[in-house]
Amino acid sequence: MNTILPLLSLAIFPGGLTLLAGGLAYEWADRKLLALFQNRVGPRWFQPLADTVKLLAKEEIIPDRANKFLFTSLPLIALAGGLTAALYVPLAGLRPAYGFSGDLIVTLYLLSLLTLCMGLAGTNTLDRFSMIGATRTLTQVFSYEAPFLLALLIPAVTAGSWQIGEIATYAQSHWLVVLQPVGFVVALVGLMGKLEMTPFDAPEAHTEIAAGALTEYSGRGLAFFRLAKAVELVVGLTLVAAIYLGGVSNPLWFLVKTLALLLTLAGIQALLTRLRIDQTVGLWWRYGTILVLLQWLVLILIRRI
Amino acid sequence: MATNKEPERFTISIGPQHPALKEPGSFQFTVDGEIVTKAYVRLGYAHRGIEKAAEQRNWIQDLYLLERVCGICSHIHATAYCLAVEELAHVEAPPRAQAIRVLVAELERIHSHFLWIGVSAHEAGFDTLFMYSWRDRETVMDLLERLTGNRVNYSANVLGGVKCDIDAEQTTAILDGLNFLEERARHYFDVLTNDSMFLQRTRGIAVMSRNQAEVMGAIGPTARASNVARDVRIESPYAAYTQYPIKMALDTRGDLEARFVVRVNELFESFRLIRQILATLPEGELTARMPRRVPAGEVVKRVEAPRGELYYFIKSNGTDKPERLKVRTPTICNMTSVIKLAVGHQLADVPMILAGIDPCFSCNDRTVELTDTDRKTSNIMTWEELRRYGIKFYEARK
Repeated sequence: MNTILPLLSLAIFPGGLTLLAGGLAYEWADRKLLALFQNRVGPRWFQPLADTVKLLAKEEIIPDRANKFLFTSLPLIALAGGLTAALYVPLAGLRPAYGFSGDLIVTLYLLSLLTLCMGLAGTNTLDRFSMIGATRTLTQVFSYEAPFLLALLIPAVTAGSWQIGEIATYAQSHWLVVLQPVGFVVALVGLMGKLEMTPFDAPEAHTEIAAGALTEYSGRGLAFFRLAKAVELVVGLTLVAAIYLGGVSNPLWFLVKTLALLLTLAGIQALLTRLRIDQTVGLWWRYGTILVLLQWLVLILIRRI
Repeated sequence: MATNKEPERFTISIGPQHPALKEPGSFQFTVDGEIVTKAYVRLGYAHRGIEKAAEQRNWIQDLYLLERVCGICSHIHATAYCLAVEELAHVEAPPRAQAIRVLVAELERIHSHFLWIGVSAHEAGFDTLFMYSWRDRETVMDLLERLTGNRVNYSANVLGGVKCDIDAEQTTAILDGLNFLEERARHYFDVLTNDSMFLQRTRGIAVMSRNQAEVMGAIGPTARASNVARDVRIESPYAAYTQYPIKMALDTRGDLEARFVVRVNELFESFRLIRQILATLPEGELTARMPRRVPAGEVVKRVEAPRGELYYFIKSNGTDKPERLKVRTPTICNMTSVIKLAVGHQLADVPMILAGIDPCFSCNDRTVELTDTDRKTSNIMTWEELRRYGIKFYEARK
């Protein structure tokens, strides 16, 4: 009996199927909101699910010169990374399924797995567009990853714990967004970079390089990558909401806070123009990193006093 | 990947099928990292043989054929053709018809520029502006439908005049539509010149000096953004532009932002002109009588399409069909500037540079370049040579 419960929690709730469904729902919400901001009708509620089912049913074409093992396994690793990361965050306002001291770092690296997999997948297929897309994807990782990490470590230091569950409990009594607004902004914008949303969608700028790193993917592989991205959206939003927006103590608060964040993200996506990759790097290293370091400085000074 | 001694040339082909291109055209960009070091264009994928087809149809049928050269600036093609044929036949369309021609042409310019703002914004990754400008463009398309019965190929012209008249009700509808569009155009002007994120993609990008523009033969709004003061509507006014002069929109900067500014300023000028025409529309007949056979002779007609100068050459041999008809659309003149300006820019800027000239591929495909793949030579063949080559080619395959 003791082994069945963890398995259930992995496969059905809060991980596994529920998370996938949640990911698709959030993806739909994002698309729908963006569509409304752009004065379009937008997709119907089941559109992301329909896309996934269709892609899963389609034939997967593996390019001749690509490494077949990598080609098929990379999407799975990306999805697995996202699903595993979900175990350590307070999804749906529940306590994290698992937790240990330092799981914040592990979660952040599991979330980066998607980007790394996409970069590898792009270089694996030898397609021109994929190569350029992969180069841009990896360049982008190096620009936003450090500030994003630093922005999420500030609350950890403030709360005195590197365990997401404990930070979230601490955050319930301290709205860190008020105390550390810069960290919050950097974390949120870093999440957009991670998810390659406009204005950070240069790696998949379809007017330049078709679908970027994933140009050669069709069928199952593409479906898994898309699912991984959807899962990462939910996990990322949960993480930012739990840490900065006063924790997510119950499902209602979880919904309210993550959807408010999603609304903000959709608004930013609708308002801004795509940045060139050099502009992205410049933005992160010139402003993002400096700002977050200043926030650190303030934190250190306060602690000293 | 690069194991050769020489650094490997990394060439990106955009087209013939690519999401950035709405029509087929092939571009080869050699890139060093993100920087374009060499650019090459190959056109001709949408060659439809319209000039040849025009020789086999009579004067009236050609009007509808030539209107289909371009889906966006269809009216101006028909206008150029009508003006040319009328000149050959020594017929002059009545003043009211000429005014209506200009009015529809300016409505078409509004429609084309709104479309272009959207396309360019989309190439830059600013989809919100794309959606909004295309929504607003519906207004002017509805006006054109109300006026002529069609949204795209309006067929407002006939030889010797126009087909559609404007009554009081339509006048009010057009004025209402213009008020809305003018307000929107003001808003877009504000966005295009003040949105700092968008300006990062347009300001100082693809700067074309006045000298460059003249050397590369750029025309239309593209050239006017580089301070080349050329506009056929002013240089040699046709139709009713003699009675309704326009003011040229010029900019000195020559970058992508300047092209946006020039085109939006042209919108304002079109609004003003349409209002003026509606206020002072001459009374009278809509058509003059045209002979079925056009006297022998040659004529050249230049008009200002939304994208720049449109050139028509027509030769008549006195029958009911043209002997030769030559069309040169503005895109082909501006294509050189794309290839020149792309070099040294980032790959990310290339779609914007291409969209900056407002390209229309199927319009400009007048010739097909034949490249001998074995010998890598290209040459232009006459009709007779091509025919013989074809016969030889298929006999060799037997």
